[in-house]
Amino acid sequence: MAKPTHIGNRIRELREQHGNMSQAALAEAIGVTRQTVIAMEQGRYSPSLESAFRIARVFGTGVEDVFSWTEGQDS
Amino acid sequence: MSFREKTAWGMGLILILAGVWYFQRVIGLSEALGHVAAPNIKFVIGYVVLVVIASIVVNIIIASAAGKEAEAPADEREKVILDRAGHWSGYVLAVGAVAGLWHFGWNSDGNLLFHIVFGALMLSQVAEYAFQIVLFRRGV
Repeated sequence: MAKPTHIGNRIRELREQHGNMSQAALAEAIGVTRQTVIAMEQGRYSPSLESAFRIARVFGTGVEDVFSWTEGQDS
Repeated sequence: MSFREKTAWGMGLILILAGVWYFQRVIGLSEALGHVAAPNIKFVIGYVVLVVIASIVVNIIIASAAGKEAEAPADEREKVILDRAGHWSGYVLAVGAVAGLWHFGWNSDGNLLFHIVFGALMLSQVAEYAFQIVLFRRGV
């Protein structure tokens, strides 16, 4: 069972808005593996602050437009 | 499945099979002797050679199928997973070592102490790869 995080994101949506950018292309742009991008999109991994900024820069937007805090049971 | 997860599966299976091979011989010898067999350097060397050769073969096969991914260093998520799995496996080794010492305290059997600690070392290595697989799948 996947471990949920409190960090929600719009990575998939932003990829689609940017000419259907592939997960592999985004992964290469920010210096991680494709599996890590998949894990982020599925909410199984919260990226480091540096990677969060890299992702935001790839999409030409701010970090808060990509990531958001989602309230959970233990928050 | 990522390159590192495939490697974890491969290494875990190799270590399990090599461990079974080793302890089959130790148990067989102990039964023949009627007591716990002394550490046998031939079995230990056989175990190490088996693990090294099988690891090289399996890693070459996995890496050749993975292409560029195999050459890339671990990324931030993979580093967290590898660190955490290594940390947890240390507890497995510690529990095994304490169990061996506890047994030694009661039985004063140095041969058994060796086998328990060596078994704990094997088990902690298997556990490390098992933890990696769990963390790759569950997330960190």
